[in-house]
Amino acid sequence: MRVNSADPTLLLGLLLLAVFAYLILAPVVLLLADAITVHFADVARSKQPLGEFTFYYLRRVLFSPISRDLFWWPLANTAIISAAAIIIAFLVGAPIGWLLSRTDLIGKKWFSTALLVPYMLPSWTFALAWLTLFKNRTTGGLPSWMETFGFTPPDWFAYGALPIALILALHYAPFVILLFGNALKQFDTQLEDAARSLGARPTVVARKIILPLMLPALVSAATLIFAKCLGDFGVAYVLGVPVGFDVLATSLFRAISTSQAGASAVLAGVIVVIGTISVIIDMRLLKEAKRFVTIGSKGAMVRQTPLGKWQVPAVVWAFAMFAISAGIPLIALALTTVMRVPGSFNLDNFTFDYWIGTDLGTTALRQGILLTGEFWLALWNTVWMVGLAATGAGVLGLLVGYSVVRSPVRFVSVGLRQITFLPYLVPGIAFAAAYLSMFAVARPPLPALYGTPFILVLAILADQMPFASRAGISSMMQLGRDPEEAGQIVGAGWFRRMRSIVLPIQRGALVSAILLPFISGIKGLSLVVVLAVPGTDLLTTYAIRLVDYGYSQAANAVVLMLCVVAFTGTMVVQKIGKSNLSDGIGAK
Amino acid sequence: MSSITLENIGKSYGRGIPAAIGNLSMEIGKSEFLCLLGPSGCGKTTTLRMIAGLEHPTDGRILVDGKPIVSVPEGIFTVPEKRNMGLVFQNYALWPHMTIRQNVEFGLKLRKIATAECDATVDRVMTKLGIAKYANRYPAQLSGGQQQRVALARMLALNPSIILLDEPLSNLDAKLRLEMRAELKRIHAEAGSTIVFVTHDQWEAMTLATTIAVMSEGELQQVGTPDDIYERPANRFVAEFVGSLPINIIEMHAEQSSPLLGWLNTLLAHFGLSGAPVASAGIRPEAVRLGALADDQAAQCAAGRAAIVDVVPTGGSWIVELDVDGSRFFAIATENPRRAAGEIIHFWVERQHLHLFDQEKKRVAL
Repeated sequence: MRVNSADPTLLLGLLLLAVFAYLILAPVVLLLADAITVHFADVARSKQPLGEFTFYYLRRVLFSPISRDLFWWPLANTAIISAAAIIIAFLVGAPIGWLLSRTDLIGKKWFSTALLVPYMLPSWTFALAWLTLFKNRTTGGLPSWMETFGFTPPDWFAYGALPIALILALHYAPFVILLFGNALKQFDTQLEDAARSLGARPTVVARKIILPLMLPALVSAATLIFAKCLGDFGVAYVLGVPVGFDVLATSLFRAISTSQAGASAVLAGVIVVIGTISVIIDMRLLKEAKRFVTIGSKGAMVRQTPLGKWQVPAVVWAFAMFAISAGIPLIALALTTVMRVPGSFNLDNFTFDYWIGTDLGTTALRQGILLTGEFWLALWNTVWMVGLAATGAGVLGLLVGYSVVRSPVRFVSVGLRQITFLPYLVPGIAFAAAYLSMFAVARPPLPALYGTPFILVLAILADQMPFASRAGISSMMQLGRDPEEAGQIVGAGWFRRMRSIVLPIQRGALVSAILLPFISGIKGLSLVVVLAVPGTDLLTTYAIRLVDYGYSQAANAVVLMLCVVAFTGTMVVQKIGKSNLSDGIGAK
Repeated sequence: MSSITLENIGKSYGRGIPAAIGNLSMEIGKSEFLCLLGPSGCGKTTTLRMIAGLEHPTDGRILVDGKPIVSVPEGIFTVPEKRNMGLVFQNYALWPHMTIRQNVEFGLKLRKIATAECDATVDRVMTKLGIAKYANRYPAQLSGGQQQRVALARMLALNPSIILLDEPLSNLDAKLRLEMRAELKRIHAEAGSTIVFVTHDQWEAMTLATTIAVMSEGELQQVGTPDDIYERPANRFVAEFVGSLPINIIEMHAEQSSPLLGWLNTLLAHFGLSGAPVASAGIRPEAVRLGALADDQAAQCAAGRAAIVDVVPTGGSWIVELDVDGSRFFAIATENPRRAAGEIIHFWVERQHLHLFDQEKKRVAL
C-alpha cells in the first residue's frame, strides 16, 4: 500500500495508537500482570523471588482462610444485589416504558424527563438520602428522620442488601425505561395485528410475537444494569461498609487502601473478566436486536393505547415513582442541610449555618460549606480536571474517529477502535486499580503520578474514551469523504482541510463529545475514589470524605451542588446537542 | 485545455481480489468532452477519481499534456491539491458550514488571490450560474439544482483546464436536467476546457459528450462518438448496454432452428452475407419496420411474419411486442400501429441496422 507522505493521516493514527496503548492498554495489562507476579511486600510470604510468576495471590484471594471475607461473600453479595436490582428495575421500569411509549398518558413529555432524573445524578446521592431518612443507632453520627420521628428502623432495612439493591434499581431503572420503551416504539403493531388476524389470542400474541422481539432489548438492559452494579462503589460504600457488608467493589477498595497490591489486582481482574463477559453478551444481543429493527422499521405503525379510566391511576403511579426515585430523596437531602437535627420541623431547628455559618461548635469544618476553602478547591478541581479530561477525550475521540475512518492501513483502524473501547469492559474501580499499577511509579515518559492531579485527569480521560471515540467514529462516518475531497480538489492541504473543513463541520459533534463525558465525569466516584488525595479532591471524593468524618449536613450540601451541576449540564446538552441521554446509555 | 493520457492503468484492492481496473489505456484530447459510460461497478468512477488523484492506481501512468502526474513504475504521485483540476461530486459535497459565497471563494482564498480580483471572479461566476442572489445562504437552504450550480461555480471559479464531473445530471429532475445539460455545453464551448464525466445513464452520455468511452468490468469496450456507439457498437456488450429498450438478440447457433432464425438466415442471404462468421445478430427495436405487405413486397425486403402480443403506448411512440412462433421480438413504432393483439403483421429491417457479432461477441464488419 502506497502511503502519501504529504498526508499525515497514517502518522496521526499511529501516534494515537501509541498514546492509547500507553494510557489504556498498558495499565490493564500491568494490572493483570500484577495478579500473577510476586510483589516486594510478599517475597517472604510467597517464598518466591521478586517479580516471579506466582499463583500466590490467586490462591490467597480464592482459596485461603480469608478468601471467604475477601472474595466469596462480596461476590455473593454482588450477585444478589445485582439480581435484585435487575428484577426491581424491570418491575418499575417496564410498565413506565410502556406507559411512555405506547399510551396516551397525560404529561408524557414531562414524565419522560422527570423519570430519568435518577440516572442524571450520582447513584450514591440516593444512598446518602437513604441514610438521612432511615439510619439507626448501629452507626454513629446524627439521627435520621425516622429516629427523630420516634421510629427505629431495623438494621436489615437501614443498611445492607435491601437498600443497596433498591437504590441501584431505582438509579438504573431509566435503562429499562429507555431501552424497553425504544424497542416498544419501534415495534410495529401490524405484527401483532397480523397474528391476531390469523386467529391468535392476545396471550399467544404476547408469548409468540411480542416477547421474542422484545427479548434482546430486555436482556440488553439487564446485562447493562449488571455491568454497572458490578462497578458501582459509592452506594455499597455508604450503605454496606459501615455494617461490614461488602461487595466486590468495596472489597477491592479495601484491598487497595490496605496496600495489598496482589490481592487487589486479582479482585480487579475478576471484576474485569465478569464485566467483559456481560458486555460481550450485551453486544451479541444488541446485534440480534438490530437484525429485528430492519424488519420492523419499514412502514411501521405504532398504535397508542388509550388509558381511559386507568388514566388517573397511571398518572398517580408514575408520579409516585418519580417521588420515590427522585423527589423525596432530593427534598430530604436539601432539607437536612438546613436542619440541626434531621427531621425535626421546629422553627428554631432550621438554620443556614451549614451553608454560610461561621464559628460552628465542631472540631473541624467550623464554618458553612460555602465559606470553606476545601469545598471551593474541590469544585475548582472538578471543573478544571474533569473539564480538561473531557475536552481531551472529546478532541482525541474526534481524531480517533478520523483515523479509524480514514486510515489507509487496516490494523490502525481496528487497533484504535478496540483499544479505545477497552475501558468499557473495565468497571471504574478496577480501572482505577489499573491506573495505580501503572502510575504509582515512574513510567517513562511520565514521572510517578500518584498524588498529582494528572493521574485523575488521565484516568478520567481514558475512562471516557469508549464514548468519545464512538461518537467521533460515527460523526466522521456520517461526514463521509466528500467534503474533504472537495477541499483537496480546490487545493487545500491536510492541515488546512482539518482547520477549515473537518473541524468546523464537526463542531456540534465535538461539543457533545466534550459535554457528555464532562457530566459523566463529574458525577463519577468509583474511578476517582482511590486516585484522589486530599489536595486533589473532586466534589465526589470530598463529599465521601465528609461522609467518613460524619459531617452529614455538609456532605449533603456538597452532593446537592453536584446534583445541580450534573442536572443542569444534562439539560444543557439535551438542549444544544441533538444527543440525548439514551445515546449515552448504549455507549457508557 | 489539456490532454490526458491514461497508460496501462490498473487498480486492484489486494492480492486474490480481481482487479477493479485492468490495463486501461485512453487518450483524451484537448477540449474533448468525454463520457465514461458503464453499469455501476464497472470502474468508471474509480478511473475518474484516479485522474483527480483521490485514488492511487496500482499500475500504469497518467499524463497531462505529456507530463506524468501519476506513474507507478517511477513512483510519481501528484497530490490532488496540486493537480489544479475541477471536480464536481455526485452529491455536490458543498461544505455545510460555509455560505454559498464562502464555498465558491474558498479555492481563490487558498491561492491568496487579491481580494478585489477574488470578489470579481466570484461575482462573475455566481452571476453566470444564476446563484448570486443566494450568496449569503447556506447549502442546506438551497434546492438540489441550485446546490449543483454552487458546486459548478466553486469549480469554475478556479478556471481549471480539466473538469471532472461525477454523474452530473443524475440527481436532477427532467426539467433541470435539460437546463443543466445546456449549461454544461455552454461552459464547454466558452472555456474550451477538457471535460471528463462518468455516468451509468446513456441519455446523459449521448446528450452531453462529444466522445463516449464505454466500460465494463474495469475494461474499455469502445471509444467513439455518440453516433458511433449507437450505430456501430464494437461488441455485444456495447450493443446491449446502449439503447433505451434492449436490443433484440438472435443467437445463430441455437440448438434447434426456429422460425426467427430462419428469417434471419433469409435476411443474411438477402443482403449477401451468408458466408459471414456470425454467431449472433442484434436488431434495435426502433430499427424494426412494421406493416402489412403484399407477398412480393415482403419478399423484396425479406420481411418476416409475426403475431402481435401487445401494443404499449409510451407517449409519442409505441412498444410493439411480437411473437414469431414462440420467440419474443420487440419493435418501437413511431406511429400508432392501431392493431389488436393476435393480428399478424410483417416486420423487416434495413441492412445498416443489422448488427452482427462473431464468436467472441465482437462486431462483424459488413
